[in-house]
Amino acid sequence: MNLLYPKYLQCKNSLFLQRRTTLLQAVVLFCVGILFWAGLFIVFYRVLVYFQSIEVLGNFLAAKLLSMVLLTFFSILVFSTIITAISVFFLSEELNLIISMPYDPEDLYHAKLLETILNSSWMVLLFSLPVFLSYGIVFHQGGAYYGILAATLPPFLCICGTLGAGIALGLVKTFPARRLKDILFLLSLLVLVVIYLLFRFLKPERLVDPEVFVTVIDYLSSLDMPAAPFLPSQWMTDCLATILFSRTTTDVGFNLGLLWSTAAALVIIVGWLFQSLYFGAWSKAQEARSVKITSTSLFAYLLEKALRPFPLQVQALVAKDIRCFFRDTAQWSQLIILGAIIIIYLYNFSVLPLDKSPIPLRYFQNVIAFLNLGLAGFVLAAVAVRFGFPAISMEGEAFWLIAASPLTLRRFVWCKFWMIFAILSFLGQVLIVCTNILLHTEKSMMILSSVTIFLMTFGISSLSIGVGAAYPKFRYENVAQISTGFGGFLSMIIALLYILLMVVIEALPVHLVIMADMARRSLTWREIVLIGISFCTIVVLTVVACIVPMQIGLKKLAAREVL
Amino acid sequence: MISTSNLTKKYAATTAVNALNLEICRGEIFGFLGPNGAGKTTTIRMLAGVLRPTSGTIHIGQWNMSIHPREAKQIIGFIPDRPFLYAKLTGKEFLYFMSKLYGLNPKHADKRISFLLDFFEIAYCAGELIESYSHGMKQRLVMCAALLHQPRVLIVDEPMVGLDPKGAKLVKRVFRELAQKGTTVFMSTHSLEVAEEMCDRIGIINEGSLIAVGTMTELRATTGGTAEKLEAIFFKLTGEEVLSEMAVTSNIRS
Repeated sequence: MNLLYPKYLQCKNSLFLQRRTTLLQAVVLFCVGILFWAGLFIVFYRVLVYFQSIEVLGNFLAAKLLSMVLLTFFSILVFSTIITAISVFFLSEELNLIISMPYDPEDLYHAKLLETILNSSWMVLLFSLPVFLSYGIVFHQGGAYYGILAATLPPFLCICGTLGAGIALGLVKTFPARRLKDILFLLSLLVLVVIYLLFRFLKPERLVDPEVFVTVIDYLSSLDMPAAPFLPSQWMTDCLATILFSRTTTDVGFNLGLLWSTAAALVIIVGWLFQSLYFGAWSKAQEARSVKITSTSLFAYLLEKALRPFPLQVQALVAKDIRCFFRDTAQWSQLIILGAIIIIYLYNFSVLPLDKSPIPLRYFQNVIAFLNLGLAGFVLAAVAVRFGFPAISMEGEAFWLIAASPLTLRRFVWCKFWMIFAILSFLGQVLIVCTNILLHTEKSMMILSSVTIFLMTFGISSLSIGVGAAYPKFRYENVAQISTGFGGFLSMIIALLYILLMVVIEALPVHLVIMADMARRSLTWREIVLIGISFCTIVVLTVVACIVPMQIGLKKLAAREVL
Repeated sequence: MISTSNLTKKYAATTAVNALNLEICRGEIFGFLGPNGAGKTTTIRMLAGVLRPTSGTIHIGQWNMSIHPREAKQIIGFIPDRPFLYAKLTGKEFLYFMSKLYGLNPKHADKRISFLLDFFEIAYCAGELIESYSHGMKQRLVMCAALLHQPRVLIVDEPMVGLDPKGAKLVKRVFRELAQKGTTVFMSTHSLEVAEEMCDRIGIINEGSLIAVGTMTELRATTGGTAEKLEAIFFKLTGEEVLSEMAVTSNIRS
């Protein structure tokens, strides 16, 4: 425990010795966390109350939901633990000091395992509480339920943490040196596999379409069947479901025994692995990566040609950012997730049952295409927070090079803006044009949505870069950390409000045009004036959303005490 | 070439640099000394234009740093004490990046980069990612970058840190040759031997204030000695005593 003492002191100091502004940010984040927590509780409470109102099926659905939730927690926890364990066991700065001391490997293993479990599971644990609480309240449970919950959670978290640590140990031992690129790439693939498995385990199509079952009994038995009897999430589900739904087919003692014995066995087995593999793996992880970049001459040539029309400083910044992006696995691997989002997004539109709608098809198509603007805007805002918001911070501690050079901060920040703008406008147009083609919308709607998303891209790009410049984080371990702070949150919230406002303002002219079109009449003068006012408001809003965040961000970046 | 007038930097209640007045001529090597936390790095960062002064002015050549930062920075080469660079660029790519930031003609930059890589003996690793460089190699790379655009003023924070004896000798040679050609070198160092050996004039800062400035002869006169080494002058001026080696050793062992 002595090895964890410095961590405890760090937490204590960061809590009590914070500057006022950081405390303010913490208070805001805390309030938002509470709101989210309450929201989650309300959603689950209402869903469970609704389930309870369904005769016969209610308990089955509630049990299935619990199984799905725990399986999701299990997958998230195992994956996040692998990533956390790589940092905690192998890349943490303090390890150089600890390893140089006469440390006890067993102490180190236990301390690091505990740290890994705490780091990776606290958030999942925190946000799982409203779920468990809503089950307890809706199904009128008392001490027994909460007792079982308290008895099942520690081994469940321990199993996830130990599994993750074991996998991380194996990965770092297998892949030589600091080849995190390979490891993370593998992890990305693992995520895809886990998501795929998870999807199959949940069998969502069966839940929504009972017609596929020959009889109601088949349907019920499929719901009642454990999805994955060998997974700890199912053992925990069985423990809780036995109490919640007074089941007789499952046994609390047996499942509790499975959880605790598996947790204990894994701690011991991974402990053995640790004793025999750790030092070698840690040594390999310290080796610097020495790679001669020779295979990129064509890439360099094309890049240089493409950037030639721009000023030299812009060429330098863009080429540098592109190279760094594709050489940093933490950055480019996010493209896999982005690709998945686009595929799922477009797939959802391709399977929309437009022909089954009771609303006239033409009207329905246009309404969906219009609402799609908000949805596409949301995707752009999420991508902007992931890629645009960290753009300034990603200069990292090398930012002094920019500050000491004759490049003005204004040009630097605007250069970042145009880079993210180019990416977002391409993505926005792909989403909008493809979905409109899938929806078979009319040309006028296609042009309207295309122009609107183009305008929105200005505001969304500016918000991500501007807020990113106002709240830069030049010291970070992982690029993904940058957007998870207060600034990233603020940027996302303002971007969502902006999108909402744009959609609301545009609703009136779209409605007027669609209705006139449906009634096969031309627009009245009053309608034309209203449409004109709406579009002017949209243009003004876009200009404000584009200029103001950039100015504020630039001002704050220039005023930073330490550049 | 470098001129500061009442240059002051405050961090909340702490005054890191207090009304600093300096005049450094063209072609001069100026050493800036002081104990830890005296305000050396803060001064250097203000001179390089990466830190905003609380009050006072800085002139680099004819350019006022607050009014014409772009022009002032264009003639400065800055070498910080810790060489944080873009880890995912190769050494050569980094130098091309810097050459473009300073607006160098690409053809001229090509020749200059090759020359500097050879001169600082890092051409063999120029195609490797910077993340694989040692501290010394990064320091050499930063020096290449700082000299790329042939600056008229070179501002250096702890130039010898991380360099092997060969590298340190090379750097001393570079600084001398640059000064002979008219470049002004402003360097802070903890190595009193280096300062004594290389600098035309030395400034000593303590608790944010400049307490002495001049040639070695002038500094000796300030402390009343005749043949004193810089080390003795430094300790006298900063009020610190040289610890007895015996006492230190015995304390550490006990």
